[in-house]
Amino acid sequence: MTEGLGTKSNPIAFDHESPEHAANWQEEFRELRGKCPVAWTNRHGGYWLATSYDAVVEMARNPETFSSEKRFDPVAGTGTGGITIPFTPIPRGLPVEADPPEWNAMRGYINRRFAPKAVDGYRQDARIFATALLNRVIESGEMDLVNDFTGPVPAMVTMKLMGLPLSEWREFADPLHTMVFTPKEAPEYPDVVAAVDWIFRRCAEEFGRYKGLPEQDNLLSYFAHQPVEGRMLELDEVLSLSNNIIIGGVDTTTALTSHALEYLARHPGAKARLMNNPSLIPFAREEFLRVFTPIHCLARNIKQDATVAGRELSEGDRVMLAWAAANRDPAIFDKPDEVLFDRGSNRHLAFGSGIHRCIGSSFARMMFEEMIAQMFARIPEWEVDYAGARRYRSVGTINGWEAMPIRFPPGPKVACDLEI
Amino acid sequence: MKVTVLRERCVGQGMCVLYAPEAFVQSDEDGCAEARFRDVPKEQEDAVRRAADACPEQAIIVVE
Repeated sequence: MTEGLGTKSNPIAFDHESPEHAANWQEEFRELRGKCPVAWTNRHGGYWLATSYDAVVEMARNPETFSSEKRFDPVAGTGTGGITIPFTPIPRGLPVEADPPEWNAMRGYINRRFAPKAVDGYRQDARIFATALLNRVIESGEMDLVNDFTGPVPAMVTMKLMGLPLSEWREFADPLHTMVFTPKEAPEYPDVVAAVDWIFRRCAEEFGRYKGLPEQDNLLSYFAHQPVEGRMLELDEVLSLSNNIIIGGVDTTTALTSHALEYLARHPGAKARLMNNPSLIPFAREEFLRVFTPIHCLARNIKQDATVAGRELSEGDRVMLAWAAANRDPAIFDKPDEVLFDRGSNRHLAFGSGIHRCIGSSFARMMFEEMIAQMFARIPEWEVDYAGARRYRSVGTINGWEAMPIRFPPGPKVACDLEI
Repeated sequence: MKVTVLRERCVGQGMCVLYAPEAFVQSDEDGCAEARFRDVPKEQEDAVRRAADACPEQAIIVVE
């Protein structure tokens, strides 16, 4: 550790949202992890950045000291806490931006809907959506992988889970993707925000409609009919739960699958190995999660003074846990920058650690498998048009691709119950 | 070899069922894991060791 670097009196020059970080994040993390695994930067009002595996898990597993709680005043448009830096002036997500005991109530209320058994019930839906989406484009020999396939499949599965009408998939998928990469100062940003607001207005409308109907097998209907701890949910809680599920569920799996398919286009040997050994696909998926961690970093709020990796953190400070940095820590992973499908054991933190472990991890794993299987079966050869492909300008929220045009030998449509 | 999953530490990461599907099972309620046995059959020992090593919560205790 370099003495003194990364203290408040000697801060690092670092901004997880900057284009410089997006272009150079592996090197930045490698250097910081070696010199000062917990370090202070003055950007965005000041925050600690944790880059070593051990520091990240130590804080993630201690929610009493490292809180996720967010407070937001919708009238003033201001608030504190939460898991984003800078603070995002929108209602909080639930359960991800709550601490125990509220977390226990909200997480317990929805956990069963996200457990592996429940997720198996959506596998056939994911398969149908993936089939129908490839039917739209397969005769043409080209598509935008992100906007035509890896974006819509998770969006449609999420809509089905929520109980939103599938006919609105385009209005639903596009703004959730666009919001992630549009800079807040861009002229089109207000339109993107309005389109995302529309999604949550639709959640409120459908929630109201489900109240007047017998309970159905979807989350908005469940919210309308089933009490939490003996009382019915308030509308703001319904929207906070919907926010967490929709924002968490859509662009993350999109980013993972896009990165994987881009990597496989560049590594035909690796692709052939997976096509010939499908039982390797889940292990490859975990390695892609480690190397192309979709959620780059998330914040916590320090409730009491603590010392981590030799740095004295004070009550009221904020800290950013860099999952993507922890996932390449050479103290834990041999050859951390290499994609190795047969890594002996892969202790990655792409789904976080501690009580806030990504509730949708089983959905992400299942949707990834269905999309990869559909590509391998129907579009076994594809090439990326790098002139048209664009990575996100910032990786601070999600490390993914805005767009990725691909070309492939045209193929036939196949029978499918769904036409879109 | 004996194995146990620490219930208070497991958060349902699901890595154990990937590495040792015959040794662990995830709950239908919250995805948290349990070992299917306490005494590990000989042919499961390697898989159980790998699963314990791959657990991000280090919630699997193996006693050789």
